Amino acid sequence: MARANLAESIQSVQRVLVVEDDPDTLGYIADGLEQNGWRVATADDGDSGLLQATDQAFDVIVVDRLLPKLDGLSLVRRLRERRVQTPVIFLTALGAIADRVSGLDGGGDDYLVKPFSLVELNARVSALARRPALGAAERTVLEVEDVVLDRLTRTVRRAGAPVDLLPMEYRLLEFLMLHRGRPVTRTMLLEQVWGFDFDPRTNIVETHISRLRGKITPPGASPLITTLRGAGYVIGGTARPHA
Amino acid sequence: MSLARPLDGLSALRAPVLRWRGLGRLLARTGARLALFQSLVVVLAFVMAGYISQMAIDHIYRDQVRREVAGEMVSMDEEYRDIGATRIPHIVAKRSRLWRGFDYRWTSPDGRTAIGALPPAPVVDGWSTVRKPRPGDTAHADRFLVMTKRMPDGALLSVGQNLSAEGSETAAVSRALVVSGLLGVSFCLVMSYLFSRGAWRRIEELVGSARAVAGGQLEARVPTREGLAPDDLDELGGAFNAMLDRLEELIAQVRQVSSDIAHDLRTPLTRVRQRLDQLRADDDADTRRRAIGRIEADLDEVLSMFSALLRLAEIESDGRIAPEGPVDLAQLVQRMADTYRPDIEAAGRTLEVEAAPAVVRGDAQLINQAIANLLDNVLRHTPPGAAIRMGAGAQNGAMVLSVTDRGPGVPAEHRELVLQRCRRLDPSRPGSGAGLGLAIVAAIARRHRARLTLSDANPGLNVVLAFPPAPKS
Repeated sequence: MARANLAESIQSVQRVLVVEDDPDTLGYIADGLEQNGWRVATADDGDSGLLQATDQAFDVIVVDRLLPKLDGLSLVRRLRERRVQTPVIFLTALGAIADRVSGLDGGGDDYLVKPFSLVELNARVSALARRPALGAAERTVLEVEDVVLDRLTRTVRRAGAPVDLLPMEYRLLEFLMLHRGRPVTRTMLLEQVWGFDFDPRTNIVETHISRLRGKITPPGASPLITTLRGAGYVIGGTARPHA
Repeated sequence: MSLARPLDGLSALRAPVLRWRGLGRLLARTGARLALFQSLVVVLAFVMAGYISQMAIDHIYRDQVRREVAGEMVSMDEEYRDIGATRIPHIVAKRSRLWRGFDYRWTSPDGRTAIGALPPAPVVDGWSTVRKPRPGDTAHADRFLVMTKRMPDGALLSVGQNLSAEGSETAAVSRALVVSGLLGVSFCLVMSYLFSRGAWRRIEELVGSARAVAGGQLEARVPTREGLAPDDLDELGGAFNAMLDRLEELIAQVRQVSSDIAHDLRTPLTRVRQRLDQLRADDDADTRRRAIGRIEADLDEVLSMFSALLRLAEIESDGRIAPEGPVDLAQLVQRMADTYRPDIEAAGRTLEVEAAPAVVRGDAQLINQAIANLLDNVLRHTPPGAAIRMGAGAQNGAMVLSVTDRGPGVPAEHRELVLQRCRRLDPSRPGSGAGLGLAIVAAIARRHRARLTLSDANPGLNVVLAFPPAPKS
């Protein structure tokens, strides 16, 4: 499975704190993350969550919005007041999109609407945990194998030859390359490449990926962008292609 | 979404019932209160009129008495000059006896002797009013207007006239006023009763209809009058009936929607159940994996339906924090065209975009979703090869966004219907979504005060969203 491969690829074991009051959900999240190679600490209320998050170093914190004693939003605000900059993923109830806006304003880095799949959670935890320390966001040239993307001139070359991309395709490739070696899900792409907070019924992501793949893959070569079935897409890295 | 007691909220209608009987019940009516108030005003007006006329009568009467008394005094003066002081007591006695409407008092210069019926006057020279108790009647006294004069020999002569005669005149006036006042008030009350009776009956009908609706008879309506010029109560009844029509329609819609949703949910959930049964029976790992994949897909369908419903509720509520900034429809249309072009062209369809700047105030996310839903719809309902056109621009003072396809279109009689939630024209088609796409578009349009129109593209469907232009600031 792709997930197992992904876990093996993590050089040093990274730590996640999950703060969630529902024991079933907590167990589901903790097991799921551990299976993917994370070391997981848990807390079932806001106060003990805050205590752990300040006492120990974590790579990512997953926080439910509604918690006993101290709600998720206040927890993160206090964390930020204590200058703890650990990335935070909020879990929000279905349909509470207004919550998401206030969550991101209130110091969260990402949000996930319940119910979510473990694949989605894993992908987002990875994306936040392995944000390169010295911002990849500032790098002007991204490279994966022989594909080079120049963010200043907004041009893409494969083996030195220019590749003609539409603006949407360029943004898609840029996002994938910024997350090189890590799976990105369809929802992540919809949110961050297209800026959609809704899910269109037409699978626009798949069509754009296949067009992009066609443009940057020379005839006969193995495709650079791999589809992880049920998980999303990955560019470069060690994840093996999945039929 | 239980609809077991949909009308609980209406029970508030039962609270202010006219519980009193008889007079109390009458007093609780607006018309009766108005009539009573008017009667009070009429009574007050009569009291004031009575008071003023009494004052006037009093004034006129005293003037007359004053003139007469002054004349008598002049005549007495003449007697004094002609006959002399010694005869005066005799004349006083004689005139008193021959009573011509005057009373006298003569006091001798030394003050010892006094003759005449008048009591002593408080002033020596001039006018005064004096009271004299009636013999044997302590409750009433006669009042006299009196002129007093000191004679040249030092004697005091008073001439006066009884004012009590005035009392009977004013009493007659008062009686007339009271009688006409009472008549006026009764007339006023009777007329307003006759006038209000019809209105009260109609209000009772209105209350009756409201209670009937509150009691669950949704089809109850206020009876309307035929052939008469409509008055304010007709207007109220009409508005009331229109409100009830709308309520009945909405309640029917909610019932329809909840049964549609229940039906839509049952299908995938039944499939999940069947697959779980199969799973229990089957040991083959590959089959199990496939079955789990299908169960996931079914559950995703259920969840996406719930998401769409919640999304719809969210758009329709005002609680959502939505940045309402200026948005250029042309930009949104261009980006959505870029986003959907690969999918549109994959099935041989063509996409044409014609976008001129059209700035509106709104939520770009929501407008994007409206466009996406319209395009999803087009992709689902047009055959391969269909031509699709998207447009944005100013038109007749409105900022217009349009999506047109050359597919089979929607028959005119169904165009309203497809905007309602959970409506699919072909319910037998599986996987054609929860039927919420266009309902969400309609909700987004309402939120932006945009007019949504579906029209015939001959052939095909033309969907237009006309936004009010962004205010210049």
